[in-house]
Amino acid sequence: MNVLADTVALPSGREERWKYTPVAEIAAALRASIPAPIAASVSRSLVDDLAGDLGCPRLVFVNGVHAPVLSDEAPSGITIEPGPPAAALVVERDVEVVMPIHVVHVSAPGDLRGLSRPRLVIDVAAGGRISVIETYCGRPAPAFTDASTTIRVGLAGHIDHVRLQWEAADAIHLGRTLVEQAAASSTHLTSVTVGSDIARHQIDVRLRGVDARVALDGLYLPTGQQRHDNVVVVDHAASGGTSTQCFKGVVDGGARGSFSGHVIVRPGTVGNDAQQTNRNLLLSPRAEADTRPWLEIFADDVRCTHGVTVGRLDDDALFYLRSRGIPIAQSRGLLVSGFIAEIVDAITHAPVREWVAAEVARRALEVPR
Amino acid sequence: MLRIEHLTVAVAGKAIINGLDLDIGTGEVHVIMGPNGAGKSTLANVLAGRDEYDVSGRVEFDGRDLLALTPEERAAAGIFLAFQHPIEIPGVGNMYFLRTAVNAVRAARGLDEISARDFLGLAKEHMARLEMDPAFLSRSVNDGFSGGEKKRNEILQMSLLEPRLAILDETDSGLDIDALRAVADGIERLRGPDRSFVIITHHRRLLDDIRPDRVHVLSGGRMVRSGDHALAIELEAEGYGPTLAAASA
Repeated sequence: MNVLADTVALPSGREERWKYTPVAEIAAALRASIPAPIAASVSRSLVDDLAGDLGCPRLVFVNGVHAPVLSDEAPSGITIEPGPPAAALVVERDVEVVMPIHVVHVSAPGDLRGLSRPRLVIDVAAGGRISVIETYCGRPAPAFTDASTTIRVGLAGHIDHVRLQWEAADAIHLGRTLVEQAAASSTHLTSVTVGSDIARHQIDVRLRGVDARVALDGLYLPTGQQRHDNVVVVDHAASGGTSTQCFKGVVDGGARGSFSGHVIVRPGTVGNDAQQTNRNLLLSPRAEADTRPWLEIFADDVRCTHGVTVGRLDDDALFYLRSRGIPIAQSRGLLVSGFIAEIVDAITHAPVREWVAAEVARRALEVPR
Repeated sequence: MLRIEHLTVAVAGKAIINGLDLDIGTGEVHVIMGPNGAGKSTLANVLAGRDEYDVSGRVEFDGRDLLALTPEERAAAGIFLAFQHPIEIPGVGNMYFLRTAVNAVRAARGLDEISARDFLGLAKEHMARLEMDPAFLSRSVNDGFSGGEKKRNEILQMSLLEPRLAILDETDSGLDIDALRAVADGIERLRGPDRSFVIITHHRRLLDDIRPDRVHVLSGGRMVRSGDHALAIELEAEGYGPTLAAASA
């Protein structure tokens, strides 16, 4: 028994929230893993290649460990504690951080499957505002990433958080994002999953204070034999909360994508509004999408909606584009980019939005922009 | 330019076009009229390369075997179909779509790409002539466009792609007077000695502006009568009844 097996939280039996995830395969990979090297040699240009250059200050971690030589100075208004055990990014009371910050997690294992466990805590004090982009990327090598980000937003604080996962093709990625929101706070979270052989991202949002708002957007684009699972839990623990979940999957080849969206509305709360949609596009006959809305409503004064679709590319639209001279592969890419545009277009900061659109198009759609 | 010989088209075992012949010379404008279900739209779609049909017969376009080409190859060769029901594509910007199409066709024709900036100027120029608000460039393709706006967008695409043969499938249907005039003007501007048109229509109105070279009546999957502009006038006055009765007699 490898000691690492105990450090990563895998379910021991059948658990609903792990329903679609190949747990046995992950456990086997974990047993074959060793800790990823702490002093991996990673250059700035490699970070540029792997993570992309967003043009805003970067905070870089290699194999879960802060890499000061690869990181930029923090923009004013933020305090950074690099850890270990966890890195912390703190926004003081009523401070608005104008410049987005790009947190880059690089996996750089050796020849054996290397486990790294990046831990980040983002603390936004009352009235604070910040935009954080987290990118998970890696060298083409067998990584095992067990990632956790905790976001705490104080009274009337706000965060825009974009999480991009394009780790190497043979990586295994287990990610968890925990969000705790105080009264009148708001968050906009965008999760984009492109990379890894097996990827699971669980987002737990707890609306603890009244009138808190969360908008959760997600994209997953598995192809080949990739498996991408998204598990969302939104817990309306106070009154007057608003939550939206909008996840879109584009599944190609023999890949599989899943979305489980769990909404809990606690007893004794009033005026909560929870919306959930999950739309999937299957690009090949072997592609599979699983979707599971899961609503637990223990209050009467509540508004909850959910909708699910699984479909294929529209033949009429494909013919229309081809009849204008656009080759078939490019036409398909255009239609897919149209399908996911809603998610990308919702990203608040224009430079971040344009950069994410271009990166997704380049990495997942093979469409030039 | 276009020679159709013994074209037969079926969908799911049901014959829609039955041994149709048609010859269209370079620079000619042909009109196809006929009752609903006659096979007019099917003919248009087959020529543009839609692949849900069982097709036999021969279609030659500028000396090439048209039926052997993919839709995008046909577009590059100079075929353009203005759709009866233009497709809405949410999330794909109209400007990006138009430029991608123009550059794809230019690349296939061995021409250089047009830059985004030059293309914007070109598109705005064409839109001004069609009395289209440039705001339509930043919207999604046909998404939420009115019927008339969609048809103008088709004519815009036609103008930008500069086809050799333009097939207009009921482009004049459901248009108000202003939109109809914009569409007619758009066609008239493109008319020239090197460009031919097939115009499928139910109405004489458009033809009064355009003055076609030939008018054909398609019924039961074949041409039952051909004539000049006077035929369109006669059909509008008398309906298809006498023509179809004579054809089946």
